[in-house]
Order: sequence, then C-alpha cells, then structure tokens
Amino acid sequence: MSEFSALSEAVIKGDIQTAVAETQTALDAGSNVQDIVDKGLIAAMDQVGEKFSTGQMFVPQMLRSAKTMQECMKLIKPLFEEGQLSAKGKVVIGTVRQDLHDIGKNLVAMMMEGAGFSITDLGVDVSPKDFTQKAQEVGADIVAMSALLSTTMPAMRETIEALQEAGIRDKVKVMIGGAPVTENFASEIKADSYAPDAGSAVIAAKKLLGIS
Amino acid sequence: MKRSEIPTFQPRLRVLNREQALAIHTAALEILEKTGFKMEHPRALEMLVDRGCEIFDGDWLRMPPHLVEEALKSAPKQISLYDQKGAKAMDLTGENSFYGTGSDATFTLDVETGERRRTVLKDVSNFATLVDDLENIDFAMSMANPEDAPIEDIYVYVFAEMVRNINKPIVFIADSGRDIAKIHEIACSVVGGEEELQRKPFILNYSEAISPLRFPENVMEKLIFCAQKKIPLCLPSGSNAGGGAPVTLAGAMALGIAENLVGLVVHQMAGKGSPFLFGPNVSALDMKSSVVCYGCPEWSLTQAALADMRDEIYGLPIWAFAGASDAKVMDAQAGAEAMFSIITAMLSRANLIHDVGFLEYGSTSSLEMITMANELIAMSRFYVQGIPVNDATLALEVIERVGRGGPGSIFLMDDHTYDHFMEALFLPKLLDRSRYDAWKNEGAMDLYKRCNMEAKRILFEHEVDPKPDAVLKEIEQILKSS
Repeated sequence: MSEFSALSEAVIKGDIQTAVAETQTALDAGSNVQDIVDKGLIAAMDQVGEKFSTGQMFVPQMLRSAKTMQECMKLIKPLFEEGQLSAKGKVVIGTVRQDLHDIGKNLVAMMMEGAGFSITDLGVDVSPKDFTQKAQEVGADIVAMSALLSTTMPAMRETIEALQEAGIRDKVKVMIGGAPVTENFASEIKADSYAPDAGSAVIAAKKLLGIS
Repeated sequence: MKRSEIPTFQPRLRVLNREQALAIHTAALEILEKTGFKMEHPRALEMLVDRGCEIFDGDWLRMPPHLVEEALKSAPKQISLYDQKGAKAMDLTGENSFYGTGSDATFTLDVETGERRRTVLKDVSNFATLVDDLENIDFAMSMANPEDAPIEDIYVYVFAEMVRNINKPIVFIADSGRDIAKIHEIACSVVGGEEELQRKPFILNYSEAISPLRFPENVMEKLIFCAQKKIPLCLPSGSNAGGGAPVTLAGAMALGIAENLVGLVVHQMAGKGSPFLFGPNVSALDMKSSVVCYGCPEWSLTQAALADMRDEIYGLPIWAFAGASDAKVMDAQAGAEAMFSIITAMLSRANLIHDVGFLEYGSTSSLEMITMANELIAMSRFYVQGIPVNDATLALEVIERVGRGGPGSIFLMDDHTYDHFMEALFLPKLLDRSRYDAWKNEGAMDLYKRCNMEAKRILFEHEVDPKPDAVLKEIEQILKSS
C-alpha cells in the first residue's frame, strides 16, 4: 500500500471532505507534491477508470471521483510553478462548429482530466481556427473533437485541414467522437483515433501518446 | 328479453393523478418565468420580447405564463395527416394511436448478411417500401443517415428517396431553414402545390431544441418556416433524465415540457393556429454507458404521464416513441423492450408514436425489427379493444347447443365459432405457435429468421404505386439545384 492509500480510497469513494483533508495532511507532512498527484490522486483515478470500464461503477460515481480529484488539485496547483506540474499530455477539446451539443464532450473532458491529462475545453461551436489557435498556444498533444449532428461532421475534416495549414498537424494527434461518427469516417478524414465513448477515449488518448 | 347494449371498457393506463399533472405543469411554467431560456434566433427573440418576455444576459429570456396559455388556446386540438394521394390517413387526436419508424440511424442490420453496416440511400428506400406495405405501420421516417448522400443536403436526398418509395405520411428531419425549403418544394410537387399541401399535409417535421433550455438559430428557423407554411411540427427536446435534465423523472418532464412550451409559443406567434404536436422525449441516460436508453421503462412511463397531462391540461395531440430497443441484435431483449413500449404507448393513448424498428439505442435500424413490431402492434390493438359483452359474445345459446348436443358436438364445429373466430381471437402471422415437429420440419426458425424472410418477401413482392413522371422529374431538378 502506498503512503497515500487513505487519500486514494477517499478519491475512489468520492468523499471530497476526506480527500481534501488527506491532501492537506500529506502537504503538511512535507510529502513530495508530484508524488501526491501521481501516487495518490492519479493512481486512484486509474482504479476508478478500471472499475468504471468493468461496470463496477456508475457514471455519477466516476464523475464524483473526478470532482474529488479536482478539489484536491485546488490545494496542490498553487504549489507548482507554471508548467512544472507534469501532466500526461495536453488536450484541447471541443464540440465542432455549428454543433451545440456538449454532454458527451464534457464527459470525455472530465474522464481525461481524471486520468491525468491537462484539459483545455473550448466549449461548443468551436471553429477550425479556434481549435488550431488554441492547440498552438498551449502546445497541445491531442486535439479532441465531438459532433452529435451528421451535418456538422464535415467541420471535423476542416479542422484537421486547418491544423495542416498551420503546420502543426504532425505535432498533434487528432481524436474524434460523437453519435454519428464512425471508425471509417475517422480514417477517411485522417484522424488518428476514434472513440465510441468516454472510457475508450481515455484509453485511446493514452495509446496515442504511448503512455500506459 | 333483449339485453341492452353494454359499452365496452377499453383497457387504459394512467400514471398521474390530477395533482401530479398540475404540479409538473406549474413547475414547467416556473422554469420559464424564473430560470428562463436561451433564444439564439434573433427574430424569435424579438417577437418574444415584444410580447412581454424579459431579456437578460444577452439572449436569455424569461417568459410570463400567460403567453403559454394563449399559445395553448390557439394551437389546434387535432392534426390530420394525409397519405400522398390525398386520403386521410392519421387523425392525431383523442385516443388514436399511430406507429411509425425513426430517423437518422448510422447503421443498419443488412437484410442479406445480418451484419451491422453503415446505412446508404438504398436503405432509405427499403425501409420506406417495407413501411408502405405493413398494415400497422402508419408513417415513415428515414431509418438511415446514408453515407452516400451529399452531407450538406443529406435530408433533402433522404426525403426524396422516401417520397419515391412510399405513399404513407412522412415525418422528416431537416437541418435548417435552407434545406427545409427544398424539402417543402418536393412535398408541394408531390401533391400539386403549396395550397394542396396545406389543405392535406402528408409531412410532419421533427426538430429538437437542446436541453437544458437552449434554442439554436437553425432549429428555430425550421420551426418558424413550418408555422408559416402550416406544416405540422413537433419539437421534442432531449430532456433525458440524467443527461439533458435532472435524473428524477418529474424534473426531467417539467424541463422538457417547459422547452416544448417555448417552442409552442414561438410557433403560434409565427403562425397562429398552425399545427403543433406536443411532447418532449424524456428517456433516461444509462448510468454505465451514458447512452440514451430506447428500451427502458422510464421513457414509457414519462410518455404515459405526458398522455395524462394532455388529458388533464394541454389537450394537444402528443408525440411518443415505441418498438425500439437497446439490444444490438434482434434477440429476446429486443422483443421484450419493443413490446413493453408498444403496449404502454397504446394503453396511454399516445398519438404519434415513432422509432419503431430501432436497435442499439437508436443507432442501428432493422427491417426485421419493424416487421416484428408490426405484429406486436396488432397484438396490442387486439388487447386494447377489450372484451365486448353482448348476446352474441356471451353465446348462451351456443353453450346450450354444444353442451347438451351429445357425443360429437364440439364448439370448433359450431357455426358460431365459424362466424366469430376471426374477430374474437388474435390470429398471429409471425409469432410461432406451431406444434414442435412442424416447427422443426419448417427449419426450426426463430422469430428473427421469420421476420427476415418476411421483410425480404415484402421487399421483393411489394410494389409501391409510383409517382407520376412529371413529379419524379421535378424532384430530380430540385436535387440538382442543391
């Protein structure tokens, strides 16, 4: 058992109060901050992800765990210099142009954040230009796009083209998802990955970046 | 002495009492008055402000309840849909229930191979042809989001494909004010002009607001277009429990109704007296996979509740779903879920019931599933007719005749049986009741296999009355101009 097992336990249970108190205790005891994140919080979220994908946990419970982690991070973040906290990868995510549906996209963002990715959520109706600019600005590893309407799917292709024109297509991996999106469509528009749901999006993102 | 006529009670489902119905309605009005909603269509926003809505935070509005009352008064209590030859086909009012298919499935179960594959335009025509033939399926939606149609005009192509392959009413989807105008043009050419289409509409538009409380510009363009052209429309948002709405069903219904009422108010302002079909979609998000469930008891329950609210408060014909499943193949789960929603929709007297034939939470369409549902609807209709009680059905004379008739006297031989068995009993066509050996000798087929063969037979044999050449040419031209 790691020294952070009480913290991990609280994150898995979604017990915000206990998790925040445990984080504070660990900080007061002088624990290495990156260790608290990696061995306490992210280790817990890995277990949450595992339990969720094997059907032992429901969505609201998984999200409560993610929220618990976020609350703990509020204590931790100020202790890091800008950019010093190592994330698994930087993800720029949004629902594509002309599409205003965001439930699925929000789920993916929450789960990725829980898995240790740093997330920049651009919201809905995000133009190819905005995706590209933000990806450049934050130095994104992954651009993740969502579409619920078949009529907005072409915006995914345009966004990929915009990344190309900006000369950063080879620097970022592109993931897509949403009800009408298919594996075939992903390969047709040369996206790097397609994920049918939030759980698989996390797995796909890790795979894309070569992290286990 | 002759017995006086006894009225037949027809089995009926109720799930709300009056107090519950009023409380949900009041909650919906409170959402509009206190929380408000986001109206992204500038002209709709302007109209609403002119009529007394309060504007805040840019394009958010709060609505006074009297606007809802006025809209409920002016909306027609009955909507009639006609077939494409001008005969009345669906009287959407009161206790009448009509079933039809759903739209936009990404995949279909291939009728030849059984494999799940992307839908193409040919699927749209196959589904339309099947529905044209099935006696208990009253209207068609596309059942496909075909990958071989140009995506900017996908709904125009899909509509044209349906028109060519069915003469029953069509419930259609459009993207915005642009493509709906083309679809309208096609519909006008089918019946011989805009006036004729208004008099005898065979189309109904399905559009959706976005829960919670968002009204995108393209959606309102369609709504206003329909209101002005008197095309019947429904605007169910997806206020699914745990998804677009609170996880508790009462709150999800209140939210969905509030959103529907905003649609109704704008609709009646844009076209007073134009036909509006009431009712949100209130299903539930699955708490493991986060899909919107199509086979869950929640959706059937909220829709029965909405039917009660129609009876208690709104008086408008209502929109519903049935005959769909979350199963990936047409298995026992698919049968159970399809029947559950089909019978409850009928028992609660929902009026226009769509999504028949969906598998995989609406992502996959299946010709076999519709073929099965056609029979399940027949089964339900038989059940809902109830038990007529009169001299002929009590059959006391027959009981005496056969009972005292001596050896060899059996009911099966009696004229009364011969005269009445067709309407007295339900006679299945696809549900198997054969004796074991017969079933085995026929190939030991399950219901999926039998439905598959029946669907293939219909596609092979059924001839849809073709549209006149002039109409087909006009449709081609409209498609070319896209």
